[in-house]
Amino acid sequence: MFSSGLPADALTLGRRGLIAGGAVALGAVATDALEAEVDAATLSGALPRRVDVVVVGAGIAGLVAADRIARRGRSVLVVEARDRVGGRVLNHGLRTGGTIEAGGAFIGPTQNHIKALADELGIGTFKEYVEGNNVYVSSNPLLGRQEFKGTVPPDPTILLDAALALMRLNDMAAEVPVDAPWAHPKAAQWDAITLDAWIRSNTLNSKGVDNLIKSWTQPGFGADPDQLSLLFVLHYIACSGNETHVGTFERNSDTVGGAQESRFVGGSQRVPLALARRLGDRVALSAAVTRIEHVDGRAVVHTTRGRVAARRVVVAAPPKQVLDMALPGMPAGRRTLLSKLQMGRLMKCDAVYETPFWRADGLTGFGLADSGAVRVAFDNGVRNTDHGILLAFVGGSTWRQYGSLSRAERRTAVLQGFARMFGDKALKPIEYTEHDWTHERWTRGGPVAIYPPNVMATYGQHIHRPYGRVHWAGTETSTYWTGYMDGAVRSGKRAAVEVLEKL
Amino acid sequence: MIRRTTLLVLLAVLVAAGLAPAHAAERAPGTARVFAKVQSPGFPAYVHVHTNGRVYAGTYTNPAGDSMRSRVFEYTSGGTLLRSWTVPGQDLTEPRGVQVAASDARGRLVLLEKSRARVLTLDVRTGRFQAQATLPDLPGGGHPIPNYATWGPGGALFVSDYGQAVIWRIPAAGGTPRAWFTSKKLEGVAGFGTTGLVFEPATRSFLVSQQTSGDPLELFRGHLYRLRVRADGAPGALSTVWTAGGALDLPDGFGIARSGNIYLALLGANKLVKLSPTGKVLARWSATGSAVPFDSPSNATFLGTRVLVANQSAILGDASHHAILDVEVGERGAPVVVPRVSVLR
Repeated sequence: MFSSGLPADALTLGRRGLIAGGAVALGAVATDALEAEVDAATLSGALPRRVDVVVVGAGIAGLVAADRIARRGRSVLVVEARDRVGGRVLNHGLRTGGTIEAGGAFIGPTQNHIKALADELGIGTFKEYVEGNNVYVSSNPLLGRQEFKGTVPPDPTILLDAALALMRLNDMAAEVPVDAPWAHPKAAQWDAITLDAWIRSNTLNSKGVDNLIKSWTQPGFGADPDQLSLLFVLHYIACSGNETHVGTFERNSDTVGGAQESRFVGGSQRVPLALARRLGDRVALSAAVTRIEHVDGRAVVHTTRGRVAARRVVVAAPPKQVLDMALPGMPAGRRTLLSKLQMGRLMKCDAVYETPFWRADGLTGFGLADSGAVRVAFDNGVRNTDHGILLAFVGGSTWRQYGSLSRAERRTAVLQGFARMFGDKALKPIEYTEHDWTHERWTRGGPVAIYPPNVMATYGQHIHRPYGRVHWAGTETSTYWTGYMDGAVRSGKRAAVEVLEKL
Repeated sequence: MIRRTTLLVLLAVLVAAGLAPAHAAERAPGTARVFAKVQSPGFPAYVHVHTNGRVYAGTYTNPAGDSMRSRVFEYTSGGTLLRSWTVPGQDLTEPRGVQVAASDARGRLVLLEKSRARVLTLDVRTGRFQAQATLPDLPGGGHPIPNYATWGPGGALFVSDYGQAVIWRIPAAGGTPRAWFTSKKLEGVAGFGTTGLVFEPATRSFLVSQQTSGDPLELFRGHLYRLRVRADGAPGALSTVWTAGGALDLPDGFGIARSGNIYLALLGANKLVKLSPTGKVLARWSATGSAVPFDSPSNATFLGTRVLVANQSAILGDASHHAILDVEVGERGAPVVVPRVSVLR
């Protein structure tokens, strides 16, 4: 069972105290309080007329880029459309106590860049609860509910098939260059089909394997296998590693030894909040960018709070968001790429219980199901409350089925999904909360932009190629761990390198 | 002649760029680790440490056949992959590869491209490639394969040729390559020719590694030679510093420490050998501690007190071994001089 481990006074610090205390444990503090503490960032008022670099977007990528540029003595301004920082990373303060994440949350092995940044900012991590068995719920009445350990559930109709398919995907992914998947000799061939089509051609029980893989693609991409280019998926697997460890499906999908291994004490949004605090009034909130143009040897960034001239611009906004900006001179290839990318469809649903009752039953809280609203569940417990928390990712076709229901109907469906995995106690939470990223105006989906077939091989090369004075950051532009916080950090560092060598 | 003040300024910059991370000294000399695996198409054959503090490596020939254009990778000094560029204009009907051999006084990378035997430059700030020179095909020999390059007297670029028994000279401001030095001793067996080439300003001489010898008395044995430069800039006498103990050691690229010690990669023996300035063997290292073993190690480029070694896996072609290995050697490299006049075109 988790316990806070915090001194009592840490939990009763006021807003000023939190800032004064620097990197104290913030677990009990609601997100809105934290956001308010980024008080040096401006919400209104005039912007500077001229800076060395404007960074568009105050997510992790943009803030990392700005921080690196500022540390080299260059003037920088971050302009952010929202009235908060963090982008797709967002803390949520529970009414019953504790802070969870409504957005990106997990961190795992080989994600060394986000880990190093968090360490630098004094933000600790804790391991996901993994004691006991996982649960698999099959709609096949002969199988029903089963407990298992490992990655692939013990469904005899898919076990061997899925294991072999994953092995082949790993082998293919190992050949894909993480920084240029379009350069692979088979890029066009792999990009012409979906993951679903590949599964149908390479497995015996393709329906069963496809259904199982949805438990990975729906939370990971907010999409189903029939929406995803095979090349894109192979690249995603290849990116699930680092310069010294080849990416694998398991490192992406697993909890122990994988991308879901740990979380941040106090919530992942503490990372961008701390970066924004360091940047102070160099972060301008509620400043949506409408246009970036090149004028008289400068880039001019037009925002809803005025315009700023800069020698260089780093755009660290989600790909689809860029299309809302007028960008005269942006290469046609990049415009086409952005128009063809799609944002995933994903929401996170959390139910809070008096206790993590499943642990007493010898269960990890991790569950898979081949049907229903909860296709994948995690123990989402946090360190500053003894309450138990179950998390469901509702993405892709499951989102399409349940995302349009009323909140009450969806709540019922999610709780029933938890109950199928962990028992009827799951039907009686003390709190229920959900966050639908498709409703986020400045993201329009999540967790990541996805490539349908016939896009990456043809247009992928434009993803991070600068034009004029404009450079690109954001997790989708990263090499390793694209789609993750680690990729965001990497991309911010790379963009800073690009810009600094041109100033 | 390079002016002394120019040299001093350049040396100061280069020394600063070569500072090693504090943790480097914690490892025992000879121990290794993976700096970074090299992405497809792989087969890295050299590593260049730039004065900007970053590390560059190209991809080289796959003996089983090339299916992709060669690429140049950029890493931080900590091994984080930053960017890559695809090499344009390669002859896709020929074996292809590229080595990042040096950087010029403008900060551009100097690339040696195999398929057309060209010297290219790459400006990483703009991504612009520029063809600088094509090595001529000399009559009677093999075909030109630019292999290693170093800035030498007069700020000129000197290039070793793996396929022909010649060292080329390209003027500091660019221009046509001229055969500067030819010798029977630079003739290799079965295509295993001249490899490493480094100019030592202090001794006004080149060190040259020769992978194999055609001399019947020492067939296949590689050598490390010293080639003096006369006052008029012409090549002087070639003398032997070291002769390989094994016929298939296949010495390749090397780096020189401030002490004058030489760290030489043995591509065939899968070792890194440490030589005194006079050629005495001081140590022979495997890649102890590294998750990836030496597999056709091809060079030794200083980064602080470490040398970065490209693991080419040229013979086995094991993609999981295509990596840059980081070997602690416990001493710093000699400053690499980039004369201010060395700008090519």
